[in-house]
Amino acid sequence: MRAYIGARIYPVDAPPFDDGVMLVDDGHIQEVGADVRVPDGVETVDLSGRVVIPGMVDAHSHAGMWGDGEGDASRDGNERPGPIAADVDAVDSVNPHHRSFASCREGGVTSVMIHPGSGNAIGGLCFAAKTRGEIVDDMVIRAPTGLKGALGENPKRGSGKDSPKTRMGTAALIRDYFARAAEYGRKKDADKDPDPDAGFENALRVLRGEIPFRVHAHRADDIVTATRLCEALDIRYNIEHCTDGYLLAEFLGHRELTAHVGPGLSSRGKVEVANRDERNAALLHAAGVRVCLVTDHPFLDVRYLMAYGGVAHKHGLPFDATLRALTLTPAESIGIADRVGSLAKGKDADFLVLAGEPFRYRSPILSTFVEGEEVYTRQQP
Amino acid sequence: MLAIINANIVPVAGEAMPDATLLMRDGKIEALGTDVEIPGEARVIDARGRTVTPGIVEAHAHVGISEQGLGAEGSDHNETTDPVTPHVRAIDGINPRDDAFREFREAGITTALVPPGSANLLGGSAVVLKCSGTIVDDMVILDPAGMKAALGENPKGAYGQRQGKAPATRMGSAALLREALVAAREYMEKQDAAEADDDTDPPGFNAKHEALLPVLRREMPLRIHCHRADDIVTAVRIGEEFDLCYTLEHVTEGQYVTELLAKHRVPCAVGPTLQHGSKVENRERDFRAPLALAAAGVPMCFTTDHPVIAGQYLALTAGIAVSWGMDYDAALAAITATAAEHAGVADRVGTLEPGKDADVVIWSGDPLDFTTFADVTIIDGDVVYERGV
Repeated sequence: MRAYIGARIYPVDAPPFDDGVMLVDDGHIQEVGADVRVPDGVETVDLSGRVVIPGMVDAHSHAGMWGDGEGDASRDGNERPGPIAADVDAVDSVNPHHRSFASCREGGVTSVMIHPGSGNAIGGLCFAAKTRGEIVDDMVIRAPTGLKGALGENPKRGSGKDSPKTRMGTAALIRDYFARAAEYGRKKDADKDPDPDAGFENALRVLRGEIPFRVHAHRADDIVTATRLCEALDIRYNIEHCTDGYLLAEFLGHRELTAHVGPGLSSRGKVEVANRDERNAALLHAAGVRVCLVTDHPFLDVRYLMAYGGVAHKHGLPFDATLRALTLTPAESIGIADRVGSLAKGKDADFLVLAGEPFRYRSPILSTFVEGEEVYTRQQP
Repeated sequence: MLAIINANIVPVAGEAMPDATLLMRDGKIEALGTDVEIPGEARVIDARGRTVTPGIVEAHAHVGISEQGLGAEGSDHNETTDPVTPHVRAIDGINPRDDAFREFREAGITTALVPPGSANLLGGSAVVLKCSGTIVDDMVILDPAGMKAALGENPKGAYGQRQGKAPATRMGSAALLREALVAAREYMEKQDAAEADDDTDPPGFNAKHEALLPVLRREMPLRIHCHRADDIVTAVRIGEEFDLCYTLEHVTEGQYVTELLAKHRVPCAVGPTLQHGSKVENRERDFRAPLALAAAGVPMCFTTDHPVIAGQYLALTAGIAVSWGMDYDAALAAITATAAEHAGVADRVGTLEPGKDADVVIWSGDPLDFTTFADVTIIDGDVVYERGV
């Protein structure tokens, strides 16, 4: 057991407190609070003057499968030719030795949901993992955690012979996929033994409510199409990116949707992000949408997620909501809040030691801990 | 006439002045200090509790020429029909109505050097603009402001890989770049000979050679895109070989060749440091390069390479550099005074000094903090942005 003492602690699911004590044993939080007694003989780590927050949870990442200066050889996010790549599983594309995981740890991200890309109308299965480890299967927190779908520009660029050329074409493909999967399911239920189809099996997981459909949509009309498609199917879903969300805040707020807003700190390189606005996260939150701030790593280098939080906070997302949007809300959205996302008794000891209050450039992440192990230590060059 | 009073003025040239006044007249800075008299007709802005700095200078931004939210229709920075296009001019590709100019003003950026892109070995001439206006010609501070050149992955990607023609390698890129410089030098020598001797005919007009003459005559710099250390070294090799004024753009692996850059005192625009690893040559991007260059006394500024990283995050980048140990004043200079020197317009902008352009920002707090707003942005003495609170 080890005791971390003296820091100001933001548990996220409870008010912050100064001079906190957190007892960690066997990778889990045994106790956390201001009045926790440190048992005799326990090793203590003095964090006076520091700030402790939960390890951040990035609900939309391509860590291990994309980018980070590795060129074409490591692009494993979009299975081609599409447009329906429902049978693939992101777990099979992820390289734990990819430098992006080191970037996650440096950036204070201890849990990620790794998605297939958005090049296909149906992209494959997402899963949740810790950001340290050698064997991807050992890093998994939960798998699968969703089926990826995509609307808007990206699926239209597909090279497959059936790739859609229009937004209505993409929507039709997604409807058709779920309709045929439902028929497949009915045949199975009737013991008619249809030919095994991994893509349809994954659709059934969505149709039966086991996992949500996670829909890439930037532009307002694409977001509305996502709601139209998913509500007709009566499936759980959330919006990935949700760039125009602030233009529909009330519409989305009524639905109590979760929006994975990001990548932050980006420009408006595509037409579908022409309305990008820094106030998006704040306006969605104010309307009652559950907001997660995401990197879409590598598209926002995950080392700068905390800076993105600062910018969202600057543009009106309240401090507590910003912290939650980087920790507990994404953990809930992914379905791993029983283990991560806040500092509470029994949860994994995933936490960050900051030099000061979050979201300031003078408060960098000094250390990152995953399950009680220090996996990143800041060293000035 | 405009006066800012009760401000914490950080002129970048010289010490900060608490509770000071800045007076602007006819688009220029007239006076600053604690005993400046304010004429009755001046509009007065009370900046109590706030910080005032020079307008931010972005020394490498494709604003207006790689337009926001338009896709291919707004992409005018790479003339990829030929790897050698020194005769094209960025000013002819810039749309002042690009919404990014608004974002620049809102982020306190008042001046930008706009170069062509890096697909071509010689990409065309850059221009330095003020970030407010409708007619691009009226926004110009300096044109041409250097000749864009590129080494590394981009030219060989655009030609060798995509079009099956030269350059396909780094050595091919260097050879073509030399060839263009040698040809222009011969052209220049023929022109000079004709000038000196009435019986000698001048060479036939060649637009590409003409565009390179100011580079060969050291009247403007060659601005060489290079990320990797070997490309940086090639840039220095060519720059020295032709005895050019030259700057380095990006310099992602500068930490590996600091001594060479210090020896030649090569001005470096470092960045976009926040960029994702979009290609192999920017694999090593982080804050080691700017810190090493600054520590070695190499003249360096930060750049976002907008829209690679949106220009509005330039100050935030400087803030992160401070968190990694860069001196605060050096980091602020790297987005103002040094950036203006890099762009070749330090006589006009980059510091708050009497006689310089009245390009000024009033900040809600520390300009480098993630949560600080530019409250008021002033260009040539005119308020071009005021944050509604």
